[in-house]
Amino acid sequence: MSTIVVNGQQRKFKASPDTPLLYVLRNELGIMGVKFGCGLAQCGACSVLLGDEEVRACVTPISALDGKPVTTVDGLPQRWASQKGKLSADTLHPVQQAWIDEQVPQCGICQFGMMIKVTELLEANPKPTDQDIREALTTSGPSPHLCRCGSYAAILEGAHRAAKLMMQGDSA
Amino acid sequence: MIRSPSKSEAKIIYDINVHGARLMGVSRRGFLAAGGALAAVFAMGGRSAVARVNASKANSHAHSAATVNGWIEIRSDNTVLLRTGKCDFGQSTIYTAYRQIVAEELCVPLEAMTEVVSGDTDRTPDGGGTFGLLRYGQNLRKVAALMREASLELAARRLAVPRASLTVHDGLISGENKKISYGDLLKGEDLQLVIPIAGDLTMPTGLRVDADPPLKPVKDYTIIGKPVLNPSIAPKVAGKTVWVGDVTLPGMLHARTIHPATLGSTLIAPGKLDHSQFPGARLVRIGNLLAVVSPDEWEAVQAAQSVADGCKWSKWEGLPSNERLEDHLRMMATEDPTPAREGRANKGEPSSVKATRELRASYFMPYQKHAPISPMVSLADYREDGSVWLHTHSQNPQHLRRMIALMLGSDEEKVVVRTYPGAGHYGRSNGGSAGSEDEAVLLSRELRRPVRVQWMRADDMQWSTQSPAMIADIRIALDDAGKIAAYEASHTGPGMQDDRLVGALLAGMPVIPAPSPDTTYGFQSTMLNVNDVWVYGTVPVVHEQAKGGAHPGQTGASGMVGLRSHSMRTPIQFQQNCPREIAINEAAMLAGKDPLQFRLDHVSDPRFVAILERLRTEAKWENRPSPSPQARSQGSDPVKGQGVSIMLRDNGYWACAAHVTVIPASGQVRVERMTIVADVGIVINPLQLRRQIQAGCLMGVSQALHEELSFDKGAVTATDWSAYPILTMAEMPELKVVITDNPSVGTYGQGSESANALASPAIAAAVMDATRKPIRRMPLKPEHVRGAMVA
Repeated sequence: MSTIVVNGQQRKFKASPDTPLLYVLRNELGIMGVKFGCGLAQCGACSVLLGDEEVRACVTPISALDGKPVTTVDGLPQRWASQKGKLSADTLHPVQQAWIDEQVPQCGICQFGMMIKVTELLEANPKPTDQDIREALTTSGPSPHLCRCGSYAAILEGAHRAAKLMMQGDSA
Repeated sequence: MIRSPSKSEAKIIYDINVHGARLMGVSRRGFLAAGGALAAVFAMGGRSAVARVNASKANSHAHSAATVNGWIEIRSDNTVLLRTGKCDFGQSTIYTAYRQIVAEELCVPLEAMTEVVSGDTDRTPDGGGTFGLLRYGQNLRKVAALMREASLELAARRLAVPRASLTVHDGLISGENKKISYGDLLKGEDLQLVIPIAGDLTMPTGLRVDADPPLKPVKDYTIIGKPVLNPSIAPKVAGKTVWVGDVTLPGMLHARTIHPATLGSTLIAPGKLDHSQFPGARLVRIGNLLAVVSPDEWEAVQAAQSVADGCKWSKWEGLPSNERLEDHLRMMATEDPTPAREGRANKGEPSSVKATRELRASYFMPYQKHAPISPMVSLADYREDGSVWLHTHSQNPQHLRRMIALMLGSDEEKVVVRTYPGAGHYGRSNGGSAGSEDEAVLLSRELRRPVRVQWMRADDMQWSTQSPAMIADIRIALDDAGKIAAYEASHTGPGMQDDRLVGALLAGMPVIPAPSPDTTYGFQSTMLNVNDVWVYGTVPVVHEQAKGGAHPGQTGASGMVGLRSHSMRTPIQFQQNCPREIAINEAAMLAGKDPLQFRLDHVSDPRFVAILERLRTEAKWENRPSPSPQARSQGSDPVKGQGVSIMLRDNGYWACAAHVTVIPASGQVRVERMTIVADVGIVINPLQLRRQIQAGCLMGVSQALHEELSFDKGAVTATDWSAYPILTMAEMPELKVVITDNPSVGTYGQGSESANALASPAIAAAVMDATRKPIRRMPLKPEHVRGAMVA
């Protein structure tokens, strides 16, 4: 039995060390805000934050976490709350709220990874340009974050709105 | 109309004719303290069937156990539930437009539409594929109108006022200083509105309401046209939605299918499963269907890979290979027995038209994949009583149910299909199956445990259907004035669709008929229609035909899988519209005319005139002929171009302009700007329509720039995203979407998928404008563009 920290909680798991994080999260820990896309780190649907860095859960062995905490989309509200010094998460993360406000998803399966990647970006760069957002979602990771429905225009608007919401959150 | 058989029981039996439907049921007002509802149910067999329904047993006359639930239910708490056999694939129509349509006809606030139940064969009443959603929306519009009319009849009796004096606004029925809400009207009632229905529940085209109630005048609309939010988005982004891949059952096994080496191979010997390395795994073989199951998903993945490496499959080379596809289609054109179909717009005799100038050209449209971001996944639970519950993601659960029952040799009543949100797949399952469903059922039956089959990326790329390739030979004759004197087009390609279950084929189980010229089953015909609607009404002579055939690798032994076709977005219309629109641009260049003005000179429909004029302004179109004065087909410096395309689909009028930059020496094309103008009639939800158009347009740009399926003589060789790249965010052009609300036409907006189709011809035309060189082969990969530069 080993442990990892997921979405602010210490969790125990039995899986062998070579098991990709994706299967541990979904099948052992019941955390479904991480989706299987390609299993090849080519699409970004399975992205999670490892510490502050986006990684592909489908190819990251559970043994490679190096003690760093994992955040999935399910844990974004809690992550935001703790960054704001709140005890409990009473709102969605600004990125999630922006995704609703801008009606970003079409089918939505890629958006789990998109929201994780945009969270990573905005935590490091609170006022990104169009170019920053395009680069984050295309060239910054092991592969582009792919959306087959073609929601990229909505994602761009969503990311800008999320940046505004985060800044409002900071000044609140 | 109202009979009171027994005053002592203080109940009233209703039996009221409402525009061909029958309002039936028993009133028990005063006995039921709470509750009450009016539900729309249906009688199969049209209007005569409605008359045969027994007043006291309306429910038992529903078509099947799967259809006892109401289509729409108005409840005594003033809420409305909507059930639809259609599913959501991300466009949100069933959660936004459908709720708006029903609320509008019922004259209730949108907020009253609290619940949408979708796509479950045991609890949603209708069937048919999830396509043409707003065409189908006419069904719901009529059902809601009948519900409103029935409620008004009821209210007239309750309030003791003439029906003609009553109106309904905001959920309140009123007249002659009396009023009652829907909820109060229905308290204590248990009423059904029996609606005449035609069609076939489990066939791809589904059911149709056979009644014509008065519809709310469009000018009175207050809900249709509003930018209603999609209520399914919030739970999705919060991580609360149960997606198809998230469904689990106690005792469930994870399965990975080991598909054959080619699309026609049979299994000679399976690889060995090393039980010491994979102690929980088990190998299952049903004919040529081979799978590894395990309670542990990662073990199933690894064990399946290990077994696959050791499998022996027969050699099979039944495909032409992608490089020789055009030759294959040329051969099919002469050798396949499928007769050609003629276009509906054909007029005159093109061979007799003498041309001053003439364009003769051939165009090639490749195979393309639906390519959902997540591969298919299904969970089946075959039970001891022979029933099977299938949890999946399908655009047509009723037809899937029919095919699963056929495969098992069981009654349709034994099969329940439940659907969940999943990755969009753009038409791939509108005939029921997208892959994995039948495999899960067969494995669950074999193992008597719930089995979840998750296809891997390669399974989904290699074993799913694809949007079929097509070639077009086009001749355009110009007269002295540079106008089109005759248009001739011959389109050749495999049939549109093969819905046979691939796992059933591999296992040697019964399937629906293979595609052929003779079958009339579903969409299995190999005959091709001329699907692109002719729009250049002033052209005096037109001849279009389409020649279909078997798909590559289909012939041979029975059960051969081959390279199966399936509709995608604007099926067949895209493959015919793209060459037509490219050719029109070439003809305009030949005539020395501005291609946008050239279209205006040839369209006859004022709706096209209006959107083309609008496009000219919105796209900042340069009014000049192609090629651009700066056009070059050599060198490493970028050259710029503009191109235009139009389409008519489902009574929606579409025009698109593309602006591109080309590097002639490298063949690299960058799409800088896309402008789309759409007149789709009544716009139900401008917010969702805009998002659909933006997204569709970008998928279209992806198809235009990147997408071509590669395959060799036996198998699809594009197994992942590196071999089948799609558009990335960095490549996204500037997008401008203009929606022209045109309520006067009286029909709902439809066909946002047209946005996909417009991109390819407009971009190809823009590259021609930039380089002088016509682009006749899609997609615009650098090597194809380089080839065109030296042609």
